[in-house]
Amino acid sequence: MSADLVISGLRVGYGDRTVIHDASLVVPAGRTLVLVGESGSGKSTLALAAARLLPPTARVDGAIRLGDVDVTGLTGRALRQARGRLIAYVPQDAMAALNPLHTAGHQIAEVLELAGATRRAAAVGARELLAQVGMPDPEPVARQYPHQLSGGMRQRVMIAIALAAEPEVLIADEPTTALDVTVQAGILALARDLQVRRQTTLVWITHDFGVVAELADAVAVMYGGRIVEHAPVTELFDRPVHPYTRGLIATTRDTREGAPRTPFHAIAGSPPRGAAPPGCPFHPRCGVAMPQCAVELPLPEGVAPGHVAACHRIGAAA
Amino acid sequence: MARHLGIRAALGAVTIAGVVVLTFVLMFVVPGDPARGIAGPRADAETLALVRANLHLDGSLATQLWSYMSGIVRGDLGVSYVRREPVTDLLAARLPATAILACAGLALSVVLGSALGVWDGLRPRRSRLLATINVGLLSIPTFSMGFTLLLIFGYKLSLFPITGGTGAANLVLPAVTLALWGVPYYASVVRDGMQEVLAAPYTRTAVGKGLPRRAVITGHVLRNALSPVVTMVGLDFAIYMSGVVFVENVFAWPGIGQLQTQAFGDLDRPVLMGTVVVAAVIVVAANLAADTARMFLDPRTREQPA
Repeated sequence: MSADLVISGLRVGYGDRTVIHDASLVVPAGRTLVLVGESGSGKSTLALAAARLLPPTARVDGAIRLGDVDVTGLTGRALRQARGRLIAYVPQDAMAALNPLHTAGHQIAEVLELAGATRRAAAVGARELLAQVGMPDPEPVARQYPHQLSGGMRQRVMIAIALAAEPEVLIADEPTTALDVTVQAGILALARDLQVRRQTTLVWITHDFGVVAELADAVAVMYGGRIVEHAPVTELFDRPVHPYTRGLIATTRDTREGAPRTPFHAIAGSPPRGAAPPGCPFHPRCGVAMPQCAVELPLPEGVAPGHVAACHRIGAAA
Repeated sequence: MARHLGIRAALGAVTIAGVVVLTFVLMFVVPGDPARGIAGPRADAETLALVRANLHLDGSLATQLWSYMSGIVRGDLGVSYVRREPVTDLLAARLPATAILACAGLALSVVLGSALGVWDGLRPRRSRLLATINVGLLSIPTFSMGFTLLLIFGYKLSLFPITGGTGAANLVLPAVTLALWGVPYYASVVRDGMQEVLAAPYTRTAVGKGLPRRAVITGHVLRNALSPVVTMVGLDFAIYMSGVVFVENVFAWPGIGQLQTQAFGDLDRPVLMGTVVVAAVIVVAANLAADTARMFLDPRTREQPA
């Protein structure tokens, strides 16, 4: 039943603006890919494209396949049935993503009813799901409205909704960003646990390298709507190739007690707004840019097994 | 929730009292002598004094206001100068007609306006038809709309009576006139609500669950998009109930609005005051009812402090 998620040559645009250029990724069944990058780098758009939840005004080219299902080609009834069951999406802002007029229990039970459960069975199932996502006392939570729940509880309700149809792929779009650290840790533990028990394929979006270390089997780094580096997690931490990836890793500090105090590095400049510059999208901020970088777009090339990066410095003297 | 409503009701009572005091003072300072109006222009000073004494017009503003306010508490709104009947009787005779017209007109506006708004809101692009209807209806004054309907459907086509009365046939044209006045407001509010809710993340969540479009619309979009209508109905009901003067006059509909216009012409202070008191009570009551309805429909409003 589990199948690899394969994205190839994905391109998403609105009007004459292209938000994602030629993105290609593979997430093996039952593994976790963490997608990192600054805000505006196209992470959420990529996730929504894979979940088939982009607004109708978006232009999508390229292919997203889950096993032998062509996800981008689904329409009508097949698309409706794939949503939630093949790929489920957990957004960043759970408050806005929950209907304010329905109880948490109803919003979960609705998915179970859609799958054929009776009203009563769905209500029971919703409480079981709440228990599974770490609510010790699901009954009162099920009866509450979103505004009555805490941020962490709302996010768990969203995850319960996403899990209700037992999806093969769960895409979580920075689900822990708005939560405090202990709640974050709980949600991450939940994600790991889920993967072990259900063999769910996870795509987790974050800009926090701590989360990367915690969850990832593989990492994809996005910049300016392109995937600039894609590698297994240990490989990426040990041998980051792209200057942007190196910069991102340098910005994270080891905050454990006794760790050496290192100066805080920030990547100078800010990500491109609107049209990307010609050549490599990162060259205006890159410390090691060469004349070639401003003119010619670097294409992804293999640097090690499973490790791909798009940088002119590869091969050139680093 | 009950406490919240109790506080709102108390505030409402204060509002009504404020409106009554303010209007009473305004009537007092407005030029025109009711005693002279009753006794006639050639009455001598003695007669005028007698009339004033009979109507208790010889006291100070404070004593007159006090006696009026204590009358309200007893359910006594005084006696009409012109008709010599208790104001409460006059109002009671008119109120049902106004209530029927207001309810019929409002129900038509809400149903037609919301239907147009939902229809247009579900379209990807704004319909030119709805925009045209809205601008057209908004730019026609109520009384010309009333006369036009009367001319076409009453006079030319003879479908509806053109003389006054309170029968079902008499109700149609004034109710439609009122409704056409309200339709653009409801249509725009519902249309904007639909567009906003359709683009909301929780609608995306509903779509992402794999729900059929119909279930997304009925289960998640409509109730959210239609919730402002409840507040609007509360406000509009109050406006319609306090007598829509033009419509009632054009169609000779024997409601509060007509009574008020006549009282204005006659300087009939007790009747005018009576219509103001009734209007204030209805405005407060309708808003309170809308608030209560919203608490049932929207869980977020239940815990708000007053």
